Amino acid sequence: MNATQKKLDHSIFDADIHGQAMNFQYLKRIMAWVKPHALLVCTSILLVVLASLLAVFLPVIITRVAIDTIILDTPDALMPDFGMNSVNEWLMHLTGFEGIVTVCILYGVTTIACHGLYHLHRVTFAKTVLFALRDMRLDLFSHMEHRPSSFYDKVAVGRVMTRITNDVQALFELLMGVGMLIGEFVPFFLALALMLTIDVELTGYLLLSIPIFGVITYFFRLATRKVYRQIRNTVSQLNQNLQENLSGMQVVQLSNREERNLQVYSDINEKNSKQEVHAIQLETGYGAFMDNMVNLALAVIIWVGGSAVLSDAITLGSVILFTQFIDMFIRPIRVLGMQYNILFRAMASAERIFQALDWHEQIREPKTPVRLPGRVKGKLEFKNLTFGYDDNQPVLKDVSFNVKPGEKLAIVGPTGSGKSTLIRLLGRFYDFSDDRIFLDGHDLNSIHSTEVRRRIGVVMQDFHIFSGSILENIVLGNQSITRAAAISAAKSVNAHEFIEALPDGYDTELVERGQNLSQGQRQLLAFARVLASDPEILILDEATASIDTETEQLIQEALEHLMQGRTSILIAHRLQTIETADRVLVLKDGKVKELGTHQELMALRGVYYTLTQLQFQDVSS
Amino acid sequence: MKVLLRLTPYIKQHIWAFSFGLFGLLGARIFEALIPLYVKMGIDNIMAAQSANETGDILSPESIAIAQTTLVYPALAICACVVAQMVVTIISRILIRRIGIYAAFDIRNQLYGHMQRQGPAFFAKFSIGDLMARAINDVSLIRQFLAGTTRLTSVLVFTAVVGLGFMFSLSAQLALIVILPLPVISVVAWIYSKHIYKQSHIVQEGFSRLSTFVQENLNGIRTVQAMAQEQDEVRRFGMVNDEFAQHNQTLFITNSALSAWMPILAATATLIILGYGSHLVTTGEITLGTFAAFFSYLALLLWPVREAGAMVTQWQRGASGTQRVFEVLDYEPEIRDYASEDSANPEFPELTGKVSVRHLYYQYVDKNKYALEDINFDVEPGETIAILGRVGSGKSTLLRLFVRLIDPVKGDILLDGHPINGFPLDFLRHQVCLVLQDPFLFADSLGDNIAYDRPDRDVSDIWESADAAALRETIENFPEGLQTILGERGVTLSGGQKQRTALARGLVRMTPLLILDDCFSAVDTETEEHILSGLKSVRQNLTTLLVSHRVSTARHADRIIVLDEGKIVEMGSHQALLESNGFYADLEKAQRVKGGMLDQIESDEAKI
Repeated sequence: MNATQKKLDHSIFDADIHGQAMNFQYLKRIMAWVKPHALLVCTSILLVVLASLLAVFLPVIITRVAIDTIILDTPDALMPDFGMNSVNEWLMHLTGFEGIVTVCILYGVTTIACHGLYHLHRVTFAKTVLFALRDMRLDLFSHMEHRPSSFYDKVAVGRVMTRITNDVQALFELLMGVGMLIGEFVPFFLALALMLTIDVELTGYLLLSIPIFGVITYFFRLATRKVYRQIRNTVSQLNQNLQENLSGMQVVQLSNREERNLQVYSDINEKNSKQEVHAIQLETGYGAFMDNMVNLALAVIIWVGGSAVLSDAITLGSVILFTQFIDMFIRPIRVLGMQYNILFRAMASAERIFQALDWHEQIREPKTPVRLPGRVKGKLEFKNLTFGYDDNQPVLKDVSFNVKPGEKLAIVGPTGSGKSTLIRLLGRFYDFSDDRIFLDGHDLNSIHSTEVRRRIGVVMQDFHIFSGSILENIVLGNQSITRAAAISAAKSVNAHEFIEALPDGYDTELVERGQNLSQGQRQLLAFARVLASDPEILILDEATASIDTETEQLIQEALEHLMQGRTSILIAHRLQTIETADRVLVLKDGKVKELGTHQELMALRGVYYTLTQLQFQDVSS
Repeated sequence: MKVLLRLTPYIKQHIWAFSFGLFGLLGARIFEALIPLYVKMGIDNIMAAQSANETGDILSPESIAIAQTTLVYPALAICACVVAQMVVTIISRILIRRIGIYAAFDIRNQLYGHMQRQGPAFFAKFSIGDLMARAINDVSLIRQFLAGTTRLTSVLVFTAVVGLGFMFSLSAQLALIVILPLPVISVVAWIYSKHIYKQSHIVQEGFSRLSTFVQENLNGIRTVQAMAQEQDEVRRFGMVNDEFAQHNQTLFITNSALSAWMPILAATATLIILGYGSHLVTTGEITLGTFAAFFSYLALLLWPVREAGAMVTQWQRGASGTQRVFEVLDYEPEIRDYASEDSANPEFPELTGKVSVRHLYYQYVDKNKYALEDINFDVEPGETIAILGRVGSGKSTLLRLFVRLIDPVKGDILLDGHPINGFPLDFLRHQVCLVLQDPFLFADSLGDNIAYDRPDRDVSDIWESADAAALRETIENFPEGLQTILGERGVTLSGGQKQRTALARGLVRMTPLLILDDCFSAVDTETEEHILSGLKSVRQNLTTLLVSHRVSTARHADRIIVLDEGKIVEMGSHQALLESNGFYADLEKAQRVKGGMLDQIESDEAKI
């Protein structure tokens, strides 16, 4: 109780990380997952270089070979054709076809080869990224799976979840974006190199445009960043408002709040629409500008290049070649502009992921763990145990008592007396001082936590039911439990009857949290689960919720069966449960007040006696 | 597809902007298509000058300068076209995209208002997650359809028409042959985009499976750890995770294959221009400039040809989004507000809290048995009545009928002699307050949660009701008092504190009739005693109905109605019912001996 009621600490796992444009530290760390696929990455990059080379040849074939040599018959030896004319002549010689036919063959084959290579590049790259992030996600999940309860007391589950799902997904987009940039920049540099060999002056004019694009893109990003953040904000407000209103709809209707709530929603909605309009104005302006820059560059080529042709500085084919390269030249800049947003988001995601991975809080495990025998006797000793979630606020104070093997002990006490804390410590969910709790004479801290939990079965008040079949919920991943064993466990705890009555028996699918089961049925299912795992020690935090009398009877019977031959500690809320125990321990304010059998405590005429007396008087008055 | 017609009202509102936008897009296409024409002019001018060059051997610098001036016109014309196209595109795109945003705004508000008028049947049919998905994803699909798909479709059509027009005007002969492979490209693109759509759906599902797995696992992390199943959970996650990566890979391969096929298929058209076009150039039927311009127009045309298939998918997506949104909007609220719909809209005075229930029947749709059967009773103003019964006896159903969260199959509930469905709904709910068993609180301040129906309530009234609900101490324990924010970003209240807050929210309204649906289940007995005994003085002369399955709660009432299997089995005071030795007396005995909750011990112990 105490722990779950604790205020969540948002500073530790902050959701409001906005990120920065580039952090090479993160990129370097991401590379750790890419490294195992290094060969695949290298292959992929080699493929894109080859493909880009062919892509650059394509316009050369059209302009230099087809137009200049074959159509116009002006093969200018001074202008580069990267050997394409010779290749074509060789083809003509080989096939005996006319030049125009072979140039078509050459063009067709190069196109197929080029795009085939691109395809292979994209596939290999995607594969690398997918595998790397799959591994990263698994590592992250595994890491979170082993954080202790004290961590989950502080951090909302939703925060952890988005790191495993959405944040890794954002990295996927980032890495694919990197691949896309490689795919765009290789042809960019090749095209640039070719254009320089053809005409330095003309290329120079085109290069001038790059800083202009850069500056415009920079200002565009600056302007949109703010709007995008505002939009994210209002969208999440809208969703939150909607979610809350839907969840509390009956209260809304019963309080006649419909109009007022609609007004609040509509106000946020309007704010959002205004921001959206603002964003599309910026986007549209930028997008249209960048799209049309290609065409402006065409004007430059016609003017400058055309003049050069007239003064015989270059051939007409070269000018047309330029108009073909222009797209290759400008595309990467546009892609960079588009990827910027993703990059930004991905950096924030990377920060969140590494923040989670760097969170090493864990249960202290012994260096040389004690190995327990096949079955322990189940003797428990508590010696002067003092514990608090915060150092200065002890929840348990100097608690000492023993439980004999096979004994059933009931713990009674008001809310906040430390009952739940006591069982959490027994399950080694929190760290506590050494030599305070002993199992069969071994310090609990000298046993590995997994081992402890295998020996001590805990039925918690808020036991979790997973979506999946009934059987899966009983077995809970423990493959050593057969179907027959699970069914026999269910029979022993009176759960068999209601399970068989379900549409698909043990294979009936349960929705999350088992909402298609009653409270009592869920309790029985939890019993079956713990019985199937066959622990030597049983700890039960009895559910307080009201259960109908018949099911109540089934539960009591099941409980007796469950406790048979097991050391059991019951946190009891019902008199009937207390009566099944051998001894009763009264806990209050973290201290042991009384300990003894029901009769002894009654004879003592102390706290316990007064309690029970009051109970009976209270109802019958 | 037909369902898309239902979006016309949203376009009609902005019909001028829409028409202007479309017209502008057409203009922009024409400007764009003019550019290759001027490129051709430039090339032809160069050719002309060159051929002059050949005849006159060497050109003087002057004549080169003259020839160069012939290039000024096409270069400047290209610039002009670019600027014109840019400006027109920007304006018309903004005009059209804004319509999408406005429509999304309207639809969101409509959905919100509509959902607020719905009852339990609606919320049984649509889960909250489903409604959220419709209000978020499907509305944004509609927005994308109006802002993007309509625009893109018209751009594609215009591009195709303009591109073809120019091609044919330049050389019908060449154009006819060049367009031959285009339908093939469309079909291939369409087939692929169908595959991609299907596969991306699978990937989406895989992602949501992944998310669900993580969410469930983390919610149950304590159980997982208690059963020492971490390794196995990691293994199971690994499978889901791996499957997701595999599906993603398949999607990427298909995607990439499409990207590879498109330029390869387009190359056939290029080859036609190259082969047949060069033949026409040599025979002198077209100029070299026309030849070059054809490459440009082909590039222009390829885009709509490639996107044609994807466009179909986009229309389908828009249609499915629209259909899902209107499915919600078309759902008639099951509770009709007859009195408000009636134009007469009669005025009613404040009620006194006199209740009469006459032959009331209720049956749930999916059940073949009455949940309530022939219920009759009367309550005088100022009385406190407890309704007692086991789980499933019909208690909560009865209470919900009073506030018309559901309507009876037969029979009437009369308040001050008027049947309740004759009251306007908001009047009824102003007069009758139901506090639900599940204490839903909003992520707002404590004070705003208590004064939820009217945020402008006096602070003194809020404190008064907090006192009555034994909440003062809790509130005062928070440094920010009534301003304390609840929920994830603020404090989390315990179950009992939540119930008492919900109770205060009901009490503050001082309605003539207050109905409490088992709202002490998480409150300890002592506090419950305290609240119940105070209730009588707080609600003097006001009627209160309270439901419980605890005898200890019921005995505080003036009279007790015992329900079993939807029927009234006993009615009378605590003492009278005990003496009659019936159902109530049995229940009392059973609860005393068996189910006596130790909570009671705990709280009583505090008194010692």
